[in-house]
Amino acid sequence: MSESGGRWVGAAVPLKEDARLVAGRGRFLDDIDRGRLLHAAMLRSPHAHARIVRLDASGAAAVPGVHAVLTGAEAAERSGPIRPLIPTTASVPDHCLAVDRVRYVGEPVAAVAAVDRATAEDALERIVVEYAPLPAVVDPEAAMRPDAPLLYPALGTNVLWHDAFTYGDVDGAMARADGILKERFVIQRYASTPLETFGAIAEYDPGLDAYEFWTNDQRPGLTISILAASLGVPQSRLRLHCPDIGGAFGNKRRPAYLLVCALLARSAGRPVKWVEDRIENLTALMHACNGIMEVELGYRADGTLLALSVRDVADEGKNLLTPTQHNLIKLGNIANGYRIPAVRYEAWSVLTNKCPSGANRGIGKPFMCFAIERAMSLLARRLGLDPAELRLRNYVTEAEMPYTTPPGAEYDSGDYPATLRRALERFDYAGRRAEQARARAEGRLLGIGIATSVEPAGTNLASYELVTGRRAASGSAEAAMVRVEPDGQVRASLGDPSSGQGYETVVAQIVADVLGVTPAAVSVARGFDSATTPWLYLSGNYSNKFSVTDVGAVLGAATRVRDKLLRIAAHRLEIDAADLELRDGAAMVRGAPDRRLPLAELARTAYADVLGLPPGEDPGLEAHHVHQNPLARPVDADRRVRSQLVFANAAHCCLVEIDPRTGQIALRKYVVVHDCGRELNPLIVEGMVHGSTVHGIGAALLEEFRYDETGQLLTSTFMDYLKPTAVDVPAIEVDRLEHPSPVTPLGAKGVGEGGAIPGPAAVANAVEDALAHLGVVVRSLPITPEQVWRWLRGELASGPLASGPLTSGPLTLPSPQRGEGGGRG
Amino acid sequence: MSADATSTPAERLRVRLTVNGAPVEREVEARLSLADFLRQDLGLTGTHVGCEHGVCGACTVLLDGRSARSCLLLAAQLDGARVTTIEGLTPAEGPSPLQEAFRACHAMQCGFCTPGMIVASTELLTATPAPDEAEIREALAGNLCMCTGYVNIVRAVTAASRAGARKRAR
Repeated sequence: MSESGGRWVGAAVPLKEDARLVAGRGRFLDDIDRGRLLHAAMLRSPHAHARIVRLDASGAAAVPGVHAVLTGAEAAERSGPIRPLIPTTASVPDHCLAVDRVRYVGEPVAAVAAVDRATAEDALERIVVEYAPLPAVVDPEAAMRPDAPLLYPALGTNVLWHDAFTYGDVDGAMARADGILKERFVIQRYASTPLETFGAIAEYDPGLDAYEFWTNDQRPGLTISILAASLGVPQSRLRLHCPDIGGAFGNKRRPAYLLVCALLARSAGRPVKWVEDRIENLTALMHACNGIMEVELGYRADGTLLALSVRDVADEGKNLLTPTQHNLIKLGNIANGYRIPAVRYEAWSVLTNKCPSGANRGIGKPFMCFAIERAMSLLARRLGLDPAELRLRNYVTEAEMPYTTPPGAEYDSGDYPATLRRALERFDYAGRRAEQARARAEGRLLGIGIATSVEPAGTNLASYELVTGRRAASGSAEAAMVRVEPDGQVRASLGDPSSGQGYETVVAQIVADVLGVTPAAVSVARGFDSATTPWLYLSGNYSNKFSVTDVGAVLGAATRVRDKLLRIAAHRLEIDAADLELRDGAAMVRGAPDRRLPLAELARTAYADVLGLPPGEDPGLEAHHVHQNPLARPVDADRRVRSQLVFANAAHCCLVEIDPRTGQIALRKYVVVHDCGRELNPLIVEGMVHGSTVHGIGAALLEEFRYDETGQLLTSTFMDYLKPTAVDVPAIEVDRLEHPSPVTPLGAKGVGEGGAIPGPAAVANAVEDALAHLGVVVRSLPITPEQVWRWLRGELASGPLASGPLTSGPLTLPSPQRGEGGGRG
Repeated sequence: MSADATSTPAERLRVRLTVNGAPVEREVEARLSLADFLRQDLGLTGTHVGCEHGVCGACTVLLDGRSARSCLLLAAQLDGARVTTIEGLTPAEGPSPLQEAFRACHAMQCGFCTPGMIVASTELLTATPAPDEAEIREALAGNLCMCTGYVNIVRAVTAASRAGARKRAR
């Protein structure tokens, strides 16, 4: 089959979606109304850890306007536990509401559905809960100690998973090394906090015993399977819609809330809507794992990297849905863009009394990149090498592509040194160094930060077998449908609901090229509807997967429709289909464009005048296609796996200026050069680079879910959980290289996680560069003005940032937990 | 949506105001926010609610010509006020030049912040027809966007101001 003609793919086509969004005509979850709709509110735990001694909701049920009340005990009777995506532990049921124990501040314990939100919230105050507080464990290293308070006493530990992986002769390489850089890095909890909060509407149809959901959940395939299993209904009696989604970034998956709505709706006999408020969002939806990484980097005197050993503690909070996800993705991306022949990775996935951790733009990679890129900058300082030069000496080169890293990732294409060189050039690196020296002479503190990254696209779920010991789900795939309607207009749908990535436009561009029409002639379904959208368990908006699965699905479906159009046209024109092409909305004879049949005429044959079809041809012009990315393979005997599939790369260079009086950090310049292969729509790609980079800046300088020692979240509003505003960030300057991927259908690679991966490292490297003369080493995030001010006053020993380098010996750890994993039915 | 007769009693007040140029008269609960009033009572869902504590700016509307957080105002306090929402800034015949600039520059991704950004930019361009980048960033500093990193939003407002200048020159 011939590939897309390329007239529209690659063009900066203005977005279809934007036309409605600029007018406020998007249709988001909270914009949806249903007849007799009730509104839900959740009662949440004020304690980080406590037993529920008594819960009496009768007062709420008596409030006028309340139509249903649900307690944790009732929820556990009426629905099964939530089936985890990564089942690490046996026999720990995770219900949609807390049953007899709360494990984080903000955990829902009861819910009310009433005629309006205010009435529901009033009714919550009539629910009496008696808690017996338990000691909370907030710090993940403390949680690993044998005497730590346990979230699940039945497990006998807070460590959900501990394992070690060695690829190559790490000990030998370390012994041969001229030196070993040892560092310990700490990263905070933060989240991408989509501007639209999470929410759902559930409706129960007693006549059909069927449930219908509307939600901005970004992973509908998985969510449907969880809901059906918990509700005890076949998936065939469950329908789920996604409308416009106001940003997601990994955070929008919490099937528990959909279950609560469903149970309330069934009790009330009316549809129930629940929309998270911002405090609920920040307190209880999803945080990226905070954690600790200890890095040992063996090197030769010339800077050549020989071996890398990482010990990684991921703080899962109360996450039973996707534990170990951050660990596994760090392992898959451990080498960054560097040639490191021997790698060891030891990991702990640890429960604490905090908000459930989970997916957040880049999952694990921002921390992995932070640790490696901080280590590289420190190594450059130690060796007296320019940090750019040290990186250039260690990159995987274009000539080595495809290159397989020790844990099994395959870098398919790209020229990593060229990406960095272009960034240095665009940044005017030499000029900036001179400017920095001049400024220093004037008493000003300028710092230059460099960080580079690989950016994978698509997750191979088979990698979870490393944790669970068995394969429940595997591979990487997506489904799409393309249909030429009876009037000749084109419609398409995709199992992946967009949350701002412009899929309606890109899908239309791809289909337009295949069918020889304009994108304007292709209507792409908004969002997702399980009754009309083709979908898989794997369907959803996650893992940067559009380029590696979705594109193939759309292309495949469009190509099937094209082939059928050509067969029909060939029959009607009595000519060989090979002599026809689709162009300008018609099938025409190559070289004789006057001999043509418009799509509308072919559609009339396909749907109405079906006796005019070629013999054996079915009526209709609709095709479904599923693209399974062939790079996804099972784990091999040496525990190597491509956990992610196709690799883009980027280099960031930034300039910061620190105010010596206040410790304020100002970003003066920020240059990104990236290579995501063929850009399907440069408008979308560039926007993604800007936005993801600002996510990285926010993580570096502003954002932190800060808990006190009792597990109270201290930053639960946008007044104290600070997001970057327009005055906090510079205009991100973007340039690109374009090495098409040889292994994706159109040569595109992922770009959605983008600057969220190297951004924190780039900013941290710049701050340290500004303060290096004071002996400052940046070992944790975020870097606050207060911390900088303390450094400027010479307080290097205070706070976690100044914790000493790792000398020797293991962490204080419980015995390995292997053998407890897997086995969950 | 009106509350059921059985709903919790809350003091109800009558308000008369102008919304997008049209007179509106309603009886509202004293605790009803302007944002909820616009969205639920009037069906004007273009005004989005992002934080309900006055930080994110998604719910920004014009109140007597000045930008205001509709989540921090009560409908009941707006008797006699003139409120303009994104619906009121969208001409019937098609997008305004500012909206056109937002689309041309792809100054959004998910689009949830966009109505608030358009409202805040309208206020800026009304007072300062040719703002520089720093003025634009300052004017939009009360509106969070989680998607764009603000780059394309600043470009769009700049482009709209230039288009406005060309129009005035003619």
